[in-house]
Amino acid sequence: MTGLRVEGLTKSYGGVRAVDDATVTFQHGRINALIGPNGSGKTTFFNCVTGMVKPDAGTVTYHGRDITGRPAHKIAHAGIGRSFQLCRVFPRLTAVENLLAAVRPGSVLRALAPARRKSDVDRAMALLTRVGIEHLAEVEARDLSYGQQKLLELAGVLMAEPDTILLDEPAGGVNPALVERIGELVRSLNAEGRTFLIVEHNMDVVMSLSDHVVVFDRGRPIASGPPDAVRADPLVLAAYLGG
Amino acid sequence: MKAVGLVVLAAFLVAFPSLASDPFVLSVGVVIASYAVLATGWNFVGGFTGYISLGHAAYSGLGGYATGLLILRAGLNPWVALVVGALVVAVLAVPVGIAALRVRGASFVIVSIAVVLVLLLVFQSWGSVTGGSDGLRVPRPFDADVLRPEQHQRFFHLHAVLLGVMLLCWWVIDRSRFGMGLKAIREDEDKARSLGVPTVRYKLAAFVVSAFFTALGGGLYALWFGFLDPIFQFSILVGSNMVLMSLLGGVRSLFGPLVGAVVVGYATEFSKAQYGDTQLHLVAMGVLLAVVVLFLPDGIIPALRGLVARLRPGQASIREVTQEELVRR
Ligand SMILES: Nc1ncnc2c1ncn2[C@@H]1O[C@H](COP(=O)(O)OP(=O)(O)O)[C@@H](O)[C@H]1O
Ligand SMILES: [Mg+2]
Repeated sequence: MTGLRVEGLTKSYGGVRAVDDATVTFQHGRINALIGPNGSGKTTFFNCVTGMVKPDAGTVTYHGRDITGRPAHKIAHAGIGRSFQLCRVFPRLTAVENLLAAVRPGSVLRALAPARRKSDVDRAMALLTRVGIEHLAEVEARDLSYGQQKLLELAGVLMAEPDTILLDEPAGGVNPALVERIGELVRSLNAEGRTFLIVEHNMDVVMSLSDHVVVFDRGRPIASGPPDAVRADPLVLAAYLGG
Repeated sequence: MKAVGLVVLAAFLVAFPSLASDPFVLSVGVVIASYAVLATGWNFVGGFTGYISLGHAAYSGLGGYATGLLILRAGLNPWVALVVGALVVAVLAVPVGIAALRVRGASFVIVSIAVVLVLLLVFQSWGSVTGGSDGLRVPRPFDADVLRPEQHQRFFHLHAVLLGVMLLCWWVIDRSRFGMGLKAIREDEDKARSLGVPTVRYKLAAFVVSAFFTALGGGLYALWFGFLDPIFQFSILVGSNMVLMSLLGGVRSLFGPLVGAVVVGYATEFSKAQYGDTQLHLVAMGVLLAVVVLFLPDGIIPALRGLVARLRPGQASIREVTQEELVRR
């Protein structure tokens, strides 16, 4: 099976079941949205899938391969990339270095090869151009505006060549023009065959961007389907209205 | 810029012993060179990964003892003992690194201190092998007819060569993919993992390389000084010195630890010579550390570079923002 399958995923923090027996499948090639109230476990779900935290129970399968509890870098190598809720970049590395850090070294000997190899730099510059910050290539990431950092983070994720990309609130805290731009990027990347899982609170973005919506409540999916159907689902309305 | 610095440095290192007026100045030169080697060794892990080890005396101390013991108990040639000793320390650093690098920040600092304290106890109490608290006399590698000043001269040059090799390695790593991965770990380890950097392996590799070079530094010092006392070999103070020197010069700069070692080493030895071996230099070091943290958080070299950049004509004082950039912000 192609795509990402999660079965019975559970992760507790103390007494809090952040993710509680979540079972869900994401078909390859789609733009999936994950919505749900704050604290419903969306970020923890991402963390379990990407190996940032080890789940207590359950399995994660990617293209039919069991990747549950594997080290994060191995999951990245398997083709799953992610951004973080509060945009994370390497502050004291320049924009282009932020991307070069995501190049897979290969063998031990190749790891000692220069990081600024022409082909890698060219690829990094192409990605910076694609997100529109190529003129800031040699500026340290900490000197970029928040919006520019968000674009840089996305370019960094792309540098690792994932075929599935998890975005945690990509429209959070950025201006409407940039939201628009990020949406266009997601669409064009999807058209090239990349799958997306997007956690997002901005319903306009969710409705306009996604093919498929999964609703989280108290650590597990409670509804899923096409955006219009989900919007009308009484379960979803209840979850959002605190019913 | 780097090339000019290198040439000047090399010329100075070659010429220093003949310029030094007397054996005392020469011996201070050796001490400072040794500081520079140790601080640069520390910086392989501290500067690249941001893991601050206060217990790096563990590896210089082990390097010293390994060298001494291999000469005394295994009858090895001193230079062979030096290299084999450092290799042994590198191997020992693997399990230590695996255990210690699991924790970050303050926890790592504490683990690194614990390691050096355990070693202090072991080397003090295991008298039959290590000489215990009485210390260990390490035979000199040169014949008795090589006199003191000549000894200092040779050891100064040996330290300089070792430092050169270490700087070259640091430089190669600094511009490599491996180095970029290490810097990513320093900046944000979880982010690095998520991008596919094999963080555990990378940190361990940097740690072992650091332990190896630090052990070579400790072994070379042991051959020069000729005597090892566990109290001084496995001392938190020695480790703190490596950290202070590196921070002072700049941990992200190739020559940072060297510059820091020259400043701290000169100040320490000067105050010892002037005021005797009081604890005064400790106070001075504390003050120096505070100054660095408050006013030169990036160290001397980046501060100087910034100053040069600002004095250069035609540089705008604030970054110019283009119309296009403004729109994008
Ligand atoms: N590292 C953590 N330590 C303790 N509790 C956590 C941690 N991460 C998440 N939680 C808890 O798990 C629950 C789900 O959080 P999160 O996954 O961030 O939800 P969402 O992203 O949907 O807002 C919350 O109750 C949160 O407080
Ligand atoms: Mg969240």
